[in-house]
Amino acid sequence: MRGASDAPVVAVRGLTKRYGEVAAVDDLTFSLRPGTITGFLGPNGAGKTTTLRLLLGLAEPTAGQALVFGRRYGEIERPGRMVGAALESDDFHPGRSGRDHLRVLATASDIEPGRVETMLEVVGLSAAGGRHVRTYSLGMRQRLGLAGALIGDPELLVLDEPANGLDPAGVRWLRSVLQSFAEGGGTVLVSSHVLAEVAQTVERVVIIDQGRLVANAPLQEIADHGQSLEDAYLALTTGADW
Amino acid sequence: MRAALRAEVLKQRTTRTTLGMLAAVVGIVIAAIAVHAFGLSLHRIGSGSNQLGIFIDVGENLGSLFAALVGAMAFTGELRHGTIRPTLLGTPQRGRVLLAKGATVLGIGLGFGALTTGAAAVAGNIFLGIRHVTVHVTAGDYVLLVAGGAAAAALWAVIGLGAGAIVRNQVPTIVGLLVWVLFAENILTSSIPGVAKFAPGTLARALAGATSGTVATPAVGALVLAMYAVLAIGVGWIVTTRRDFA
Repeated sequence: MRGASDAPVVAVRGLTKRYGEVAAVDDLTFSLRPGTITGFLGPNGAGKTTTLRLLLGLAEPTAGQALVFGRRYGEIERPGRMVGAALESDDFHPGRSGRDHLRVLATASDIEPGRVETMLEVVGLSAAGGRHVRTYSLGMRQRLGLAGALIGDPELLVLDEPANGLDPAGVRWLRSVLQSFAEGGGTVLVSSHVLAEVAQTVERVVIIDQGRLVANAPLQEIADHGQSLEDAYLALTTGADW
Repeated sequence: MRAALRAEVLKQRTTRTTLGMLAAVVGIVIAAIAVHAFGLSLHRIGSGSNQLGIFIDVGENLGSLFAALVGAMAFTGELRHGTIRPTLLGTPQRGRVLLAKGATVLGIGLGFGALTTGAAAVAGNIFLGIRHVTVHVTAGDYVLLVAGGAAAAALWAVIGLGAGAIVRNQVPTIVGLLVWVLFAENILTSSIPGVAKFAPGTLARALAGATSGTVATPAVGALVLAMYAVLAIGVGWIVTTRRDFA
């Protein structure tokens, strides 16, 4: 079912977002094929988060377009069942329980209520599900965010810094979740600063700097240049030759 | 639309904010009625119109104010806590989200207005009875007080939601609503009564049965107040569909 077509899951073309004189995203073009895990890298302020918000319809591009499954995000009816996203580690009402947070998401997207308990189990929050989110650690919030992204059994997962606050066991667990998601035909776009973690998980990297694309290549290609991901990344984002 | 509406209702039910606001306003209403019933001289609480005026000024006014705050927080709270992102990821049709919120806070406002005016009437009867003052408010007055108070608070909740969608930031929105209801309209009433007749707080009082300083009938009050609500949600719709959510 998943990945039946080879059409791009994400197609970003000439995407530009200006705030006054500053271009947060500048003529960015890349696309994602089904069943791949792509690392979205760049220094702080490079425009990663802005790009993800443009892709998910939270902000309007100044020029160009960002399409998911060939459509603008806002044109998809029930997008929660096609695209799962976790953008911030703390997008929760502190006085609402983790379980109720997921119930709200499931209700809004007409997702079968049984998915709530399933997802709490998947992310290891079954016991803590009844507690208010204000009592959760950063790692637990990341897990709850991931549960919210996965609850609609989506085909595309968009995650902004999902490894922040996870302990080593949590990072390993996240990796296994993403890998099994991609093996099932799902597509993942994951932004991260933790290059070592990225190098172990992703197949491709899209690297941006000052809003512009500086690399879009399989990880293997970077290794073929005889460079580690870290060397390549630093060379690309500090202006040195690659 | 149904899914968005059910999600909004569930949001309200799964935090204690709205219930806490309701408990607070009913408590304040009872305390304020006690202050009036025991504190004012007998000639100011003896007539039926005095008594009804107190029930309206306390019950309707505070019910509408708190309903407006709940309406505002239905939007600003989502920005404050960042839940607007998952909300819009699930329902990217922003107008639909705003309408679902509007319907939800309209219902909550009805409950707030009915309970605050009801509490004002019950507490007023008890406290005036303790002071051996006969209550001259008629059955028809009570019906209009509670039904009109409910409708007024429902419309004020939508006005609050629109204000929240326009201002976005929670604290300025709440402070703005408090300043308007508690101070600005009073100043307007004493300085330019011709304009104050059509101010939303005055219209809400007319809707609950007040006759002094207001438009002629509760029906006119309801109609003009509803126009404010439509205007607020309409401007809120325009800005919400156009602005970015960072």
